[in-house]
Amino acid sequence: METWEVFRRHGHREPFEHCGTVTASDHEMALLTAKECFLRRREGEHLWVVRRSDIHSFQDETLLEIAADKSYRFNSGYRDVVAKRERARARAKELATP
Amino acid sequence: MNQVLASVLTALGDDELILGHRHSEWTGFAPHMEEDVAFSSIAQDEIGHAAAYYSLAAVETDDDVDRIALGREKSEYRNAILCERDNGDWAFTLVRHWLYDHADAIRLEALESSSHEGLAALVTKIRREERYHLLHADTWLKRVTQGPAEGRKRVADAMTRAYPEAVAVFEPFEEEEAALAQGWIPVSSSELAARFIAETSQQLDALGLPTRSAGRSGEGAEFVASSSGDLIAGDAVDDGNPPAEDGFGGRRGRRTAEFDALWQDMTSMYRTDPGARW
Repeated sequence: METWEVFRRHGHREPFEHCGTVTASDHEMALLTAKECFLRRREGEHLWVVRRSDIHSFQDETLLEIAADKSYRFNSGYRDVVAKRERARARAKELATP
Repeated sequence: MNQVLASVLTALGDDELILGHRHSEWTGFAPHMEEDVAFSSIAQDEIGHAAAYYSLAAVETDDDVDRIALGREKSEYRNAILCERDNGDWAFTLVRHWLYDHADAIRLEALESSSHEGLAALVTKIRREERYHLLHADTWLKRVTQGPAEGRKRVADAMTRAYPEAVAVFEPFEEEEAALAQGWIPVSSSELAARFIAETSQQLDALGLPTRSAGRSGEGAEFVASSSGDLIAGDAVDDGNPPAEDGFGGRRGRRTAEFDALWQDMTSMYRTDPGARW
């Protein structure tokens, strides 16, 4: 028996989302039980099962952490840009005034 | 108001109710949790189908669905005997599930052309759910049959025991002739039995499973249509009391001791206050 990750989606425009796991001997059995465990009350229209061992991640998940200052990659890094621009305009006006 | 129609609909509902009840006895005990949920869901489907058949019957006899399901005496039920057999082990349960759902699929395919519009429409809906039941049964049977020897042996033993009783699912309805004449049932039970034997024999041969009982009822027992259209075992006398071991008689109200216990359990709540509204 293996563990199968179950994904479902509500409609063609929606992404598949993880909804749980089932234990089964193969993908056909996994689909059979996943349907009844996760799609019994019209929670979606489509179903995938993926063998957990076929899903890959980093061995060392600290690789996913952001180590240094990467504020320039985030919207929040530009929060003061309006104020800075106002100050720059004011300064430019001041310099242009004889 | 039509007693003939009601009697056929009640027999159809009884198969589903009694088998659904047997399936539901696995809730909490199935081989693993996911299967527990799946099999319980199938049980609910079957009981839902029973309720739908009884609803149509209730219109014909001005009766109540709950009373039909739970308020009758044991001798008034008309399910096939296969449906009432104890669950036994998981192998017998699977084999019975496989045999019944294949029999039911053949019956439903015919009933979809019923001259009774309500029944034909209901059968269309039921067939959509039965597709999953068949897939479930086929997938399981194949897995266990092709798995380790113990599972294969248990399945083969269960098949030997259950197959003749599955043919008896097509024992004619009490009012078969009249229902056929009206087109309510478009195909005779003996014709459906022949289709069932042809179809399942082929599939079971492919799985290397037996299709004939090796025991008493299998010795020379070819099920043939009698002049009355009844299905009888070749050397049996159709005196209304078929031998207990061949699985026939259910449509005429013959009940086994196994049914007795099921009935006590299934109807005990209803009998404390018949007619109570839930």
